[in-house]
Amino acid sequence: MANNEGDRVSPRMSAGEVLDFLRHTPGVFLTNNERDVSQSDFKCRIMPQTTLRVAPYRDATGYFGFEILGGATVHMDLMKKQINPFEKLQLVRRAMPNTLIQGLCRGRNLFGYRPYPDNVIEMTVRLFSKYVDIWRMYDFLNHIPNLIVAARAAKEAGKVLMPSLCYSTGAGHTDDFYVEKAEEVLSVLGENIILCIKNHSALGSPARIAQLVSAIRKRFPDLLISYHGHNTDGNDLARLMAVAQEGVKIVEVSDHGYGGVYSQPPALTVIQNLHDYGFKTPGLKIAPLLDASDVLRRERRLYERFTSPFHGFDPTVKRHKLPGGALSLVLEQAEKAGLIERSDELFRELIEVRKELGNIWVVTPGSQILWATALSNVVNGRYQRASDDLKRLLLGRYGPFPFYDPPQWIFQKVLEAGRTDGKMWDEILADEGGLKQPANEDLDARRLELQSHLKRPPTDEELCIYVQFPRDALDFFKFEERFGKTWLLPPDVWHHEGGFPDGARITFSDETGKTHNIDLISTRRTADSVQTSFLVDHQFQTHTTQLPKKTVNREP
Amino acid sequence: MRAPLDYTTAIEEAVPIREAIRVISKASSEMFKKLLVANRGEIAIRIMRSAQELGIKTVAVYEETDKTAMHIMRADEAVCIGSGPRRDYLNIERMIRAAQSSHAEAIHPGYGFLAENPSFSRRCAEAGLVFIGPPPQVISDMGSKVIARRIMAEAGIPVIPGTQVLPPGEEGKEIAASFAQTHRFPIMVKAVAGGGGRGIRVAQNIDELVKFIELGRSEAKMAFGNDEVYLEKGLASPRHIEVQILADGYGNVIHLGTRNCSIQRRHQKMIEMAPAFLPESLADKICDAALRAARVCNYLSAGTVEFLLDTNDNCYFLEVNTRIQVEHTVTEMISGIDIVREQLLIAAGQPLSVSQENLVFRGCAVELRITAEDAKSNFMPDPGLIDIYQSPGGYGVRIDGAVYQGYEIPRYYDSMLCKLTVYGHTWREAVDRLRRSLGNFLIAGVKTTIPYYKQIVNDPDFINQNFDTSYIEKHPQLLNYQEEVPPVGKLAILVAEINAHRHNPYTA
Repeated sequence: MANNEGDRVSPRMSAGEVLDFLRHTPGVFLTNNERDVSQSDFKCRIMPQTTLRVAPYRDATGYFGFEILGGATVHMDLMKKQINPFEKLQLVRRAMPNTLIQGLCRGRNLFGYRPYPDNVIEMTVRLFSKYVDIWRMYDFLNHIPNLIVAARAAKEAGKVLMPSLCYSTGAGHTDDFYVEKAEEVLSVLGENIILCIKNHSALGSPARIAQLVSAIRKRFPDLLISYHGHNTDGNDLARLMAVAQEGVKIVEVSDHGYGGVYSQPPALTVIQNLHDYGFKTPGLKIAPLLDASDVLRRERRLYERFTSPFHGFDPTVKRHKLPGGALSLVLEQAEKAGLIERSDELFRELIEVRKELGNIWVVTPGSQILWATALSNVVNGRYQRASDDLKRLLLGRYGPFPFYDPPQWIFQKVLEAGRTDGKMWDEILADEGGLKQPANEDLDARRLELQSHLKRPPTDEELCIYVQFPRDALDFFKFEERFGKTWLLPPDVWHHEGGFPDGARITFSDETGKTHNIDLISTRRTADSVQTSFLVDHQFQTHTTQLPKKTVNREP
Repeated sequence: MRAPLDYTTAIEEAVPIREAIRVISKASSEMFKKLLVANRGEIAIRIMRSAQELGIKTVAVYEETDKTAMHIMRADEAVCIGSGPRRDYLNIERMIRAAQSSHAEAIHPGYGFLAENPSFSRRCAEAGLVFIGPPPQVISDMGSKVIARRIMAEAGIPVIPGTQVLPPGEEGKEIAASFAQTHRFPIMVKAVAGGGGRGIRVAQNIDELVKFIELGRSEAKMAFGNDEVYLEKGLASPRHIEVQILADGYGNVIHLGTRNCSIQRRHQKMIEMAPAFLPESLADKICDAALRAARVCNYLSAGTVEFLLDTNDNCYFLEVNTRIQVEHTVTEMISGIDIVREQLLIAAGQPLSVSQENLVFRGCAVELRITAEDAKSNFMPDPGLIDIYQSPGGYGVRIDGAVYQGYEIPRYYDSMLCKLTVYGHTWREAVDRLRRSLGNFLIAGVKTTIPYYKQIVNDPDFINQNFDTSYIEKHPQLLNYQEEVPPVGKLAILVAEINAHRHNPYTA
């Protein structure tokens, strides 16, 4: 279909038309990455209602894309937001009909932490493609064959393909290495792509990143390049301007109303800079962008307690290289493990572990493996209690180490531990090492299994979530059956702290736009139960909650 | 129209005995001032409405176990007749005493309980109370299925081949065996004192027949205090057709058209409609038979003559119900006649307010019995607290209910929540209105048969009027529905959980 919207791309264009539009339109395009803002700055807790509230403004802004799916969202939608990720996308699609929706997948690891079989990857990409226009995908070892199945499925669905190269620094991370990787991407996935530079750990100076882009562009002058960075060190604005000057076509931003700390820098600042530097920003409108942030500024207060305990930027990311929100999550874990006092030791161990384990990219699932290993090393002794994931990494299940192998003693310690057959590490590696194609799921059997849990035939989308996260998906389906579509509740109710005062009124609209009221009348607390009385759409109703013993005196 | 009877002569000659009229004649056809409704639930309220429209004060009765019932609220006064449950509603003397203490002049029995107990009608007359219904002899004749069959057969109304009351022991078995030889299976074993679908078993072979006669006897003894049973030839997939009749004390007998009550579950009606959509000549034939039946049994007040229609449109007399029936509403909708009002006027000695020639039937009406039952658990009653109750309204929708929000349905009585009756100019319009009305109900707290009815109104066989008495049995797939809880109610429960835990336990 021809482009009727003039100076902006549209979901009604084919993937080829989108790429042509980018090639032939001078200027720099912006992609709003709410997915990453939520994940990096608010522990994934931004609720769909907030997204939907600002959707009309963002849709009118004229972003190239809007990333709302990927990384941890699918799992977190099920666990902490209790919304079906497909339903969320459907709502966003409806609310933002003029903006390309972008999804991020971890290649063969999809939205999870381990390799999935081909038929699960194909089904997932196919089903999500109903709502996703741009597939951004990466492999945490930059092992390009790990992208093939997902990329093929995205192409078959007619979607814009955006393979990413994870970027890091230190031994092995040279321009030549990345140019070679770009060449491999092009030869394996074809020329009709946008290559994304994924600077998840906010590494490299503006000059270093500019040099990298320049090297790639020199080798592939017509290649469309996008830049995904993080502002963890407070320097991504400068990097972003530097790559724009080197010909990057798309850069990722946030709303200034929230985000911009461990996530992407604010769109408005980027636009002002670009204009001053003489770049056009085709299709972008400032007024709706301001409106969006006006709303978000007020909404972000609801999410304050999910922000990092350390406010401000973290230039030490250059050493520990933890991406975006991983930092606040690992600190939380350290605190739970009672190791917050030893966080400096933990971080030093993390750096050491990364170097020992091939100086790979600290991004999911690698970041989790490296951090868990560092934590275990500090608690249990170095490589004393290796996780199964670490064993898998050493066995090459995720792909080969790109620069150098870890030292033999680590292989020996990790692989030989707990073996009863007396096999030596090199034998184990020779016999069992390497990428192993996971066997295809018997989807019919899994469907029947899910049907027996649900007591009704599941939808394809439900099956898709279930095969990826069986336990959490089941918990979610049960939750949904009991409570319904709780994303309809205002986020301040969902994240409410404390009891509700008598007389409190909760007003919200349902999916059809009709208004509903829940008026709290009274709360009667006894030793082991709480009876709440309320008017539900002016109809009296009560509900009694049995309290578990330990939480009875949780608060005065 | 026949000339008014001479009551004095009638009484002296004792043919026919009409105690009710005798009382009225004393009151010189004046409308009574106060009516006691010897019933509960929706029918009690239904009766009170018509009475109140006539300027009659109403007295409700209730058992202690039923003291929150809605019919008490709708009455002008109420009398507690005992601690219950059920036995006081069945206690004639307590009813009479309640009427006397509240100075009621008349008693309407509704349906069920004492409605078809001839002793009640007789005791009312003895106590000088007007019984709204036919005289005791009619009730007792029609109450005996065997006598009723004989009277009808004598009047030339076709009856299903059947036996007399089976003698006990071997003799009965021999009669049964020879009946089976002649008429073949299936054969119905029926309690003489049964009715309203109760006390019926269907035998498919001789072993079942022998077994069911024994079972039927002991069950009938328990349920009706009379262990007599008889046999009837069973028809394959018959339709249940009935005719509403009205008879006054002046010899006027009219019919208000046909009803089809074929959609039944275990002989209990679930959906009824008027008219029965029969070919005109057949409908006329059946209505004529009903009028004849009413006349031969000296009928008075409102009643129903029931027939079975086999697949070849042969009709057979089934029984006469000597009471107001649950499904009378559909007839009211298409005839415009308030049947309870007519009952009250007849009882007060007035003639029918309409003649057969002046009656006009328009459109069609369908009634559903909405009960607090779990269709998926074999229609097990689901008593409990009604958290939310909102009923539909609008054009062509009639609700006869007896529940309210906050009402706790007692487990001792029937589980009827309300009757939904809709009117439509055409069958299709009525079905569309049913579907809309079912969707407009909002009931929370108890399981109801609404989702099951929603399945039915979307079923092609129902929509195409392709049903007989085997419909429910032959459409088990209708039970495959999803329970619907109002979405906002579910969300409110989460709000209550957050309130109770003082944080959202699902996002911790």
